[in-house]
Amino acid sequence: MMRRTLLMLVVLVCVLPVAIGISAQDDITLDFYFPTAVDGPIVSTIEGYVAQFNEANPGITVVPSYTGSYTQTRDTIVAEGMEPIVDVAVMLSTDLYSFIQEETIVPAQSFIDTMDDPAAFVDDFFPAMLLNSRDADGTIWSIPFQRSSVALYYNADLFEAEGIAVPTNTEELIAAAQALQTEDRAGLLIPVAGGFPTWMYQAFAAGFGQPLTAEDPSVVNFNSEASLDAVTFLTLVGTSAEDGGYGVGPAGGSAWGETPTAFLAGQAAMIYHTSGSLSNLLNNADFTVGVAFAPSGPEGPATVLGGGNMYIFDDGSKTQEELDAAWAFVEFMSSPEIQSDWGVASGYVAARQSAWDMEPLASRVEEFPQYGVTRDQLDVAVMEFSSYDSINIDGIVNSTLSGILSGEVPLEEAQATLDTAQAQIDGLLDAYR
Amino acid sequence: MTSERNRWSIVADVLTGLLALIWLLPLIFTILMSLRPSNVPITVGNIFIGCGPFEELDVLCRFTLDNYYEAWLVAPWLQHLLTSVLVVIGVLGVQMITMTLAGYAFAKLRFRGRGLLLGFILLQLMIPTGVLLVQNLTLVRELGVFDTRWALMMPYWGTAFGVLLIRQTFRGVPTDLEEAARIDGANTLQILARVYVPLSLPTYVAFALVSISARWNEFLWPFIATRTAEVRPLTVALNQLYQTTEVGAQYGELMAGTLLVIAPLVVLFLLFQRRFIESFASSGIK
Repeated sequence: MMRRTLLMLVVLVCVLPVAIGISAQDDITLDFYFPTAVDGPIVSTIEGYVAQFNEANPGITVVPSYTGSYTQTRDTIVAEGMEPIVDVAVMLSTDLYSFIQEETIVPAQSFIDTMDDPAAFVDDFFPAMLLNSRDADGTIWSIPFQRSSVALYYNADLFEAEGIAVPTNTEELIAAAQALQTEDRAGLLIPVAGGFPTWMYQAFAAGFGQPLTAEDPSVVNFNSEASLDAVTFLTLVGTSAEDGGYGVGPAGGSAWGETPTAFLAGQAAMIYHTSGSLSNLLNNADFTVGVAFAPSGPEGPATVLGGGNMYIFDDGSKTQEELDAAWAFVEFMSSPEIQSDWGVASGYVAARQSAWDMEPLASRVEEFPQYGVTRDQLDVAVMEFSSYDSINIDGIVNSTLSGILSGEVPLEEAQATLDTAQAQIDGLLDAYR
Repeated sequence: MTSERNRWSIVADVLTGLLALIWLLPLIFTILMSLRPSNVPITVGNIFIGCGPFEELDVLCRFTLDNYYEAWLVAPWLQHLLTSVLVVIGVLGVQMITMTLAGYAFAKLRFRGRGLLLGFILLQLMIPTGVLLVQNLTLVRELGVFDTRWALMMPYWGTAFGVLLIRQTFRGVPTDLEEAARIDGANTLQILARVYVPLSLPTYVAFALVSISARWNEFLWPFIATRTAEVRPLTVALNQLYQTTEVGAQYGELMAGTLLVIAPLVVLFLLFQRRFIESFASSGIK
């Protein structure tokens, strides 16, 4: 009895893999990897879009794979090594130059050029949304999918009660914060604590006159006058008035995850955060949540984009049919219909202008004009930091900024510290010039 | 004399209670966070109970089941539960067979190279599973079981820990019993099934618990070896609640989801509590 069971088991183990391997088909199958970075039933929403696509496109089967965070997605792709499985993936828009250098992606431009009306397709995207998709020559490599930007949230009830105008530049920002600050309420929380202040910093660097990077991926501006002004401003926000600061927030800034919760609990009059937090704040606040262009510069508002784009992968083994199928899927996911639905479901800023005239997004904006603000501030948005060797440079920028913001490096030495960091960055970039 | 003994036993009880409390704290914290409304941060009021800034007296205002509802919507939990259960059973069932046979061979049979072979098997205990990740992935893909539940089970069918454990237990079973059974006409498999296994039941139960909880809690390998939701276990679904980096951690939902995921194991343990504790005591696993 026991022997027979054992024998059957051994047979089963040997035969099973073969049986599973037989289920191949003639259809084109695409593996689509996507990470999540916001809360809610995001995975089932995306699986729903994929199901729509599969139904409308017989002969193509997209298999959606939830791959964790952006980092976990990257690790998954790396683990596949020399025989990649991934065909299409949502990855950080700032990963562009690493993928270009690894020669693992196909430029979206090669598919756009074969469209009936390439200009109509490209022009429907907000120009800011494509900043991180283009290389220095203007070639579009990736298509925006889940994008967000830095925005200012304010407790509108407080502003109304005190009769204060919503700030539009750094001076008004500090004045409003000081007026609204109380014993148990911070005037302004900017989440730069915790070791990753680069994203927030970029909005201020742009506001003070010089973004961290521009089109040329071999140039990073980290020791300019604007850099010093931006990091000085951010440090003074958390420095007490006795020490010559503005004293409107905690020393060293607030922690990323705690900032929205503190705002909801009435512990902050204003916060800087991602546009992706808007739905969470609107749903959970027992006061009116106001959204404004991030007032990050002395002359006026400035913000920075973030988030993920869609990339088409090819290790050189793909047929034109497979590549075309991958593009059909990317085009579908970036279509105004999907972007309109996705904007409402996820809280990301829909990348295409026509998506905002469609349902369900049009009604959402009508009901909550706050969503319209995150769209309109794209006019003052700069590209997210993107360069060659961006992982190492990002590390340098993060640790340098954290040193100054935490007070470890006094402000008098900030310029020298920035100069040192710039020299390190230039050392890394020299190889690409 | 008696009263002194009583006094010491009270001290021991208090100390045990304190230790138990320390171990319980994370669980208590998890439960409290899962019941806390998402717009009431932990920094407001008393960490345990206490109240929101606006309703100072209403203790109940702190508690909500919304987090459980939100967490429930995030993934098809029952489907993931099915995978987790199947994988746990599929691993444990095969492990029981391989470790029994190998354990017997190393405990009772004499053959050339026995010590060396056992040494090789034990070497496996010293290799962190993460190191084998890419190799295992390649192997699973070559076998054609990538993105199936089989991929989650196969790497664990041989268990060095189980072999060692059973070998030690079988060595404690007197060979006289085996010889008596052999005289009665039993073959080796019958002897295993009728003599060795029944006498080692506590060891099997103890191993089962270790194996079940290890597979139940495993994240990295299932995450790498599968892509489709149908064949992914609970831990991978739980990851979704954890990955909200852009908007910041939603602790309430995360804790509610965590409790959902550990609930089946906790229930299992409570049901068989006495049995498990006896087994651990007699097999010497900690």
